[in-house]
Amino acid sequence: MKRRDFMLATGAVAGALMLPRMSFAAEGMIDVYFTSDQNVIDFWTNTVKPGFEAANPGITLNLIDGGDSSGVTAIADRALAALAGGQDPQADLFEGFDTRVTVDGIEKGLYVDFDQAGLSNYAKINPLAFDIPTNLPYRGSQVLLAYDTTKLDPANAPKTWPDLVAWIKANPGQFIYNRPNKGGSGGNFVRRAIYEANGKDPAKFTVENYTAEAGETMLKPAWDILMDLAPSMFDGGAYTSGNTQSLQLLGQSAVTMIPVWSDQALSAIDQGVLPETTGLVQLSDLGLPGGFTKLAVLSNGANKDAALKLADFLLSEEIQSAVLTELGGFPGVSWDYVSPELRERFADIIPTSIPVFPTGDWETAVNDGWYRAVAPNVDPAS
Amino acid sequence: MTTETAGALAPAPQSSRRPIGLLLVAVPVLLVLWLIVWPIIAAVIQTVWISTPGGREFSLETYRFFFSDGYSLSNLSITLWTTGVCAILLLLVCLPIALYLRFSDSKVAAYVQGLAIFPMFVPSIILSFAFIRVLGPNGTVDLLLNAMSLSKIRSPYLTPWGPVIGLVWDNIPLTVLILLSGLGAVSNQSIEAARDVGAGRFAVLWHIILPRITNSILVAISFAVLGIFSAFTLPYVLGPAAPEMMGPFMQRTFRELLDPTTAITQAVITFGFCIVFGLFYVRSVAKNRAA
Repeated sequence: MKRRDFMLATGAVAGALMLPRMSFAAEGMIDVYFTSDQNVIDFWTNTVKPGFEAANPGITLNLIDGGDSSGVTAIADRALAALAGGQDPQADLFEGFDTRVTVDGIEKGLYVDFDQAGLSNYAKINPLAFDIPTNLPYRGSQVLLAYDTTKLDPANAPKTWPDLVAWIKANPGQFIYNRPNKGGSGGNFVRRAIYEANGKDPAKFTVENYTAEAGETMLKPAWDILMDLAPSMFDGGAYTSGNTQSLQLLGQSAVTMIPVWSDQALSAIDQGVLPETTGLVQLSDLGLPGGFTKLAVLSNGANKDAALKLADFLLSEEIQSAVLTELGGFPGVSWDYVSPELRERFADIIPTSIPVFPTGDWETAVNDGWYRAVAPNVDPAS
Repeated sequence: MTTETAGALAPAPQSSRRPIGLLLVAVPVLLVLWLIVWPIIAAVIQTVWISTPGGREFSLETYRFFFSDGYSLSNLSITLWTTGVCAILLLLVCLPIALYLRFSDSKVAAYVQGLAIFPMFVPSIILSFAFIRVLGPNGTVDLLLNAMSLSKIRSPYLTPWGPVIGLVWDNIPLTVLILLSGLGAVSNQSIEAARDVGAGRFAVLWHIILPRITNSILVAISFAVLGIFSAFTLPYVLGPAAPEMMGPFMQRTFRELLDPTTAITQAVITFGFCIVFGLFYVRSVAKNRAA
């Protein structure tokens, strides 16, 4: 081929590749953006997408990894701008998203109000999970402790907070948790320490009751607990920067125990990232906190109706049971709406309550306080 | 400065070219003004013109907080430390590679060059996880040492040396390329002439080569320093939780503490340090032009 022809052909191909980016969102293709980790996207790819597409011919799902919550927050801000200009936001559904993060988003009607949306499965949602009507909870997850059974006999695994503290101190360097603002498994370990310092009463923390004084008096004792543990942590007080890095250290047998998300640990064991000999345990005096994952549907999305159909499908028994069996999470619906044999099988881990730590000011105070009070314990010269 | 006035003023071709040249550079210059210079000015204004209950007023409070806050200062000093150590290590690693590539005629040189440029094509997030696998606790290096019945290494993962190793590796290609282009200006004749009068290897390096590439070294170091100072991924994944480098610190202040004014203050201070190295670069370019 002559060089000139080659250039022309390359130009045409490049132009054709750019075309879909410039066009509007495709009709019948629901754009779903994720803030969750890869195991959740795999669950959608393998279970939700085939099930929904089979039940709804002509509609396809486009699953997009939004990175982390700030990535999807930016897409949401773009959607809000599109709403003002009457354009297509090129997005329909956000998974693992709190609609409160978009400034003025709820007031301007960017998100579908699920109280008004008339989803047939809406009434089945677990009352523990309800938040605000623009956030639709569809699955739950809780933090557990994962440990290496070749180094720690399951019979001796700590079952209460004092046991855990005693174990960590007796086995220095064998425990690591990740920074509380990065990934949540470490964050919820820190929150469990905060509960421990405040009479194990999650009800003491609500979205509204944060004040600077309350933050000082209620968080300070928790920092003391964690500071006391720091010298017994991996490397004399090191903290990983995410859930995945903690899993990697447990997988490399560099530590014996880490806090993990239940769903992430189960899929890691399933995929061989963690060995078969990994044990899981939950504290029985008060569980490590967790939370429900919410999704939001854009009111100005091109495929809003299809996205609502998808939201309803997610609450169906088929998917909610799969959340338990495939994803290792908790259903977003009440346990009465999960098949009886599954209810039987998971009877031991059905939580009567999942302690949920409030977002907003408390979260900010925890993130700032931990970095200033606990993290600098690391000797920079070490 | 329109073309008409230029045409009316000067029929001579030399002077009529000037406005066209200026017009050609006008677009990039305006873009730089709009997208870079203006945001910098706006950022500075935003940090000193603070909204108070009684309206906006001039205040240096955010800067006073930064420079009186031990935590912020330790983050700044770890950033300076990391940048300094990286710059020295980069020079120690890259200068021999560049010298070898410049003066070797062997076939191996091509492979060495390929290997030196390779880090450019590895995204830093992949580098980070590979680092944990290889140099992390019970990583590949530990396994190899164990196979030879040697003791484990003290893993640099989650210590300040983690980001240093990662950043040095990541910055090798650019530094080598810049040094190599500088070495291109050293003529073989001058080296041969020096050898003829009996100069040893070290004397050639010290008196003939280094004086000619000081400019390149300055440029290479300022480029590396500018990148390292505001690095994010490697310090974030490989470094300790505290002290943090300015990149992760700014991001966390902005995104998680929801405190844009403080985050911008940190950015302005970071910029203040970077501009010093930027000036080095501009000065050396200007010197080259003048020469």
